[in-house]
Amino acid sequence: MSTAGRAVAVKASARPATRRRLRNRDWVWGYAMIAPLVLGLGVFYLWPVVQSVYYSFTEWTLFGDATWVGLRNYEQLLTDPANARALRNTFVYGGLSLLGIPLSIAVAALLGTRGLRLVSLYRTLYFLPVVTMPAAVAMIWTWLYNGDYGLVNYLLSLVGIHGTSWIAEPSTALYALVAVGIWTQIGYNAVIFMAGLQSIPSHLYEAASIDGAGRARQFFRITLPLLSPSIFFVSVLSVINGLQMFDLVYLMLRRGNPAREDTQTVVSLFFSRAFEEGAKGYAAAMAVVLMLITLVLTVIQFRVQKRWVHYA
Amino acid sequence: MRSGGRLWPVHLVLAVGAAAMVMPFFWQVLTSLKTFTEATRTPPVWIPSFEWANFAKVLDETPFLQQLGNTVVMTTGRTLAQLLFCSLAAYAFARLRFPGRDVIFVALLSVLMVPGQLFLIPQYQIIQGLGWLNTLPGLIAPGMFSAFGTFMMRQFFMTLPAEVEEAARLDGAHPLRIFWSVMLPLARPGLLALGVLTVLWSWNDLMWPLIVNTDPESMPLSAGLSALQGEHMTDYPVLMAGSLMASAPIIVLFIIMQKQLIQGIAFTGSK
Amino acid sequence: MTGKIRALVVAGTLVAGLAGCSSSDGDGSGGKVTLTYAYWDQENQGQAMTKIVQEFTKSHPNIEVKLQFTPNKEYWTKLQTAAAGGTAPDVFWMNGPRIGLYASQGALMPLSDKIAADKVDLGKYPKSLVDLYTLDGKQYGIPKDFDTIGLWYNKALFDAAKVKYPDASWTWDDVRAAAKKLTDPAKGVHGIGAMPWSQELYYNTIFQAGGYVISDDKKKSGYDDPATIEGLKFWKDLLDQKLSPTVQQMTDNDPIEMFKSGKLAMWYDGSYDASQYFKTEGLKAGVAPLPAGPKGKATVIHGLANVVYAKTKHPKEAWEFVKFLGSEQANRIQAESGAVIPAYEGLQESWVKSMPGLDLQAFIDQLPDARPYPVSKNTAAWARLETDAITKAFTDGQDVEATAKQLATAMNAALSQEK
Repeated sequence: MSTAGRAVAVKASARPATRRRLRNRDWVWGYAMIAPLVLGLGVFYLWPVVQSVYYSFTEWTLFGDATWVGLRNYEQLLTDPANARALRNTFVYGGLSLLGIPLSIAVAALLGTRGLRLVSLYRTLYFLPVVTMPAAVAMIWTWLYNGDYGLVNYLLSLVGIHGTSWIAEPSTALYALVAVGIWTQIGYNAVIFMAGLQSIPSHLYEAASIDGAGRARQFFRITLPLLSPSIFFVSVLSVINGLQMFDLVYLMLRRGNPAREDTQTVVSLFFSRAFEEGAKGYAAAMAVVLMLITLVLTVIQFRVQKRWVHYA
Repeated sequence: MRSGGRLWPVHLVLAVGAAAMVMPFFWQVLTSLKTFTEATRTPPVWIPSFEWANFAKVLDETPFLQQLGNTVVMTTGRTLAQLLFCSLAAYAFARLRFPGRDVIFVALLSVLMVPGQLFLIPQYQIIQGLGWLNTLPGLIAPGMFSAFGTFMMRQFFMTLPAEVEEAARLDGAHPLRIFWSVMLPLARPGLLALGVLTVLWSWNDLMWPLIVNTDPESMPLSAGLSALQGEHMTDYPVLMAGSLMASAPIIVLFIIMQKQLIQGIAFTGSK
Repeated sequence: MTGKIRALVVAGTLVAGLAGCSSSDGDGSGGKVTLTYAYWDQENQGQAMTKIVQEFTKSHPNIEVKLQFTPNKEYWTKLQTAAAGGTAPDVFWMNGPRIGLYASQGALMPLSDKIAADKVDLGKYPKSLVDLYTLDGKQYGIPKDFDTIGLWYNKALFDAAKVKYPDASWTWDDVRAAAKKLTDPAKGVHGIGAMPWSQELYYNTIFQAGGYVISDDKKKSGYDDPATIEGLKFWKDLLDQKLSPTVQQMTDNDPIEMFKSGKLAMWYDGSYDASQYFKTEGLKAGVAPLPAGPKGKATVIHGLANVVYAKTKHPKEAWEFVKFLGSEQANRIQAESGAVIPAYEGLQESWVKSMPGLDLQAFIDQLPDARPYPVSKNTAAWARLETDAITKAFTDGQDVEATAKQLATAMNAALSQEK
């Protein structure tokens, strides 16, 4: 906490009496200023976590009466094959969305080309999917993926490929969703990478070219290592987003879609258990398990990062 | 040293990529202007017959303007509240000393590590208990507070030099005054960035509205679109018109506020 | 008539006031009460609903009714959430699969006493529908309409392929033969749509094959019965022979839209979609009774009811409204709009006449062969399993028989949890 140090240094310069007075005032003001937020986060976020954990040991009737059932929800979690499928889909989704990272880096690197014009136009265009409402994105892609009249299959037919019903076909739907997810993320990630690239001092490249290193060598020896903090940040974000996948699945694969089982994610399953089927206790148990999984994955990512992320 | 003309390969690659980014929107706009028959013709019809009735249908069959109003109120309410509460607390966490400060801060940040589903059921019950289902306050309330926004603003305050407030402190100004008249003006870029991010998140939020506001009149646009899809199944021209109308305002806002949004994202990425 | 109802309202208000159980708001003298009425079919029935409400307000100036439309796909999720939160609409549409759950969990107001007090004659409605909305001897809903399933066909496509129009004499074999002749891959036309929908499609063929979905005592699934499986195979065979678009195609493009735009020559669908086909420009549709299967004729009969929310703030007004919805007057409006077959006795004729050129009599003629929609106390619990399993069986290379037997096991487990 370097701030604390700095704050102390500042205050040390004041006369002792003033300092004490300031400190005392700080107490009250500090609590007063954080109070609204602490109250809000406490009521709407922290306490609910405790409640959810409690709910995970209860069973609910459709209209809201809960009874204690011990570990039964957790036992059912293990025996219901839908959970294993959803977990698998979620991992595939989170894992494959990492494929967007090289694309984003390429876009960022190209946009960073010195002397390039139209950069802000390109940036705007790449960014459009990021700001578009997911509900709208889902509709647009449902239509693009339409087996008979979709643009995707029309474009494929121009090169002689006969496409399928991408999001109704069990073998393709998950990957079709991954593609949409990547499409919406590229612009966002590229912005983070552009910031990362800009922070690399240009003298490093100059020194490297004097040493005779080619552009490819420069990229792998300088750019990638120095970009690794951004890459780490984006990959953590991608995995978390993958684990949180809901909007697209909910809107693009309604009940009755043959590919539904093959695309259902943990969160979409949670939603339908909790709010469509009214099994709130069971759903709470799902959420608790999802939290544990997220925690473990994040810890792993932070452990592994030490081996490949270079902080300047 | 390189002339613009020699950059054409870069332009080529970027343009192909940009086309892939924009094509879906082009297809959305084109389809929204077609009749159903035109939309289901192969090969595709490239010049639509400008079927404005698709847009009229959305206005007729859903309380679109009402939902637009709900979305605006929801977004404004959440954003203003977050800016106020988060920056207020962030300043205290960054600059004031009080017992338990760091413990409280870390406890609040732990919210970021927890999947949102863990909050949903109890949040729903709170809103239900308050009798706020199907109301704007119910839609807004939990989104008024953000651990992320507090973290972001705290980082921002920490980058500001301490000297600026020192003078004010020695003049005897109390922390709230310093915060309001010295620090907040300096934090404008940070506030704008957080504001734009919050607007974007709030406008597009789907799951919470789906849960608490089930009455079409009190839904925001995101949930309204979902309802439109439930009704019109595969009437793609109408769906495209609706999705265009619902997402256009935020896209326009983004084009205007592009710099702030990108700064905001770049800022979060650098921490 | 109007005066009588008004007198009843006044009397009701007095009684409630004396009993001291009146809700706080909107009950006072001259105060206007607002009821919310939720429904899920705007396209076919929106107009009739508006008109009924208008008529009701004419005779009940003190009661305002707010119509609340929610698409079918989201209706139940929303209703359940709202009911759990104590904010469900005052009056809403109810269907067979859900009545058991909503009534048994106390979400609906029992109407028996009010029916008796106001001498509402339930004999005016089909008995199977009245029974559908009775639980443990209490009546929870007043029948609103009923529906049966028919064989819809596209006359232009039949003419072009020189196939005789379907009639009451048709059997499964005729359907298969016609589908073969009508399928034209070059034009993207299929003979029939074999969508995994229960009420419109496979329940009917299950009954026609002599199978059953759920046993009479509601304890056992019928999906391991060979006859039931035969009813499913009828559709699967049509899919395998490519006489129907794939389920994937029909997910991308709603089969109803496909039928309307001439991509399907035959299509099993309910009487409730009649007005939609009648209104579609350029579609010359006909309808015939469902073809007979190995064990003869059968069609699913189902009907909706209007129910009152148990926690409504305005029980008297809500009952007044439900009573009006069940009245001959309201049923006549439904009949004339052509939206649905009204439940009220003697009004079916005006429904049939509401769409000249369509032989809607086919739906009424099937009544003797009608079979009640299969339900149990918690229908939704196994219906979800059913949808997923049958969709899967119709989609990939999976064996219908094996899938159906797995479904039977899962469904039996779900049924055993019902109390």
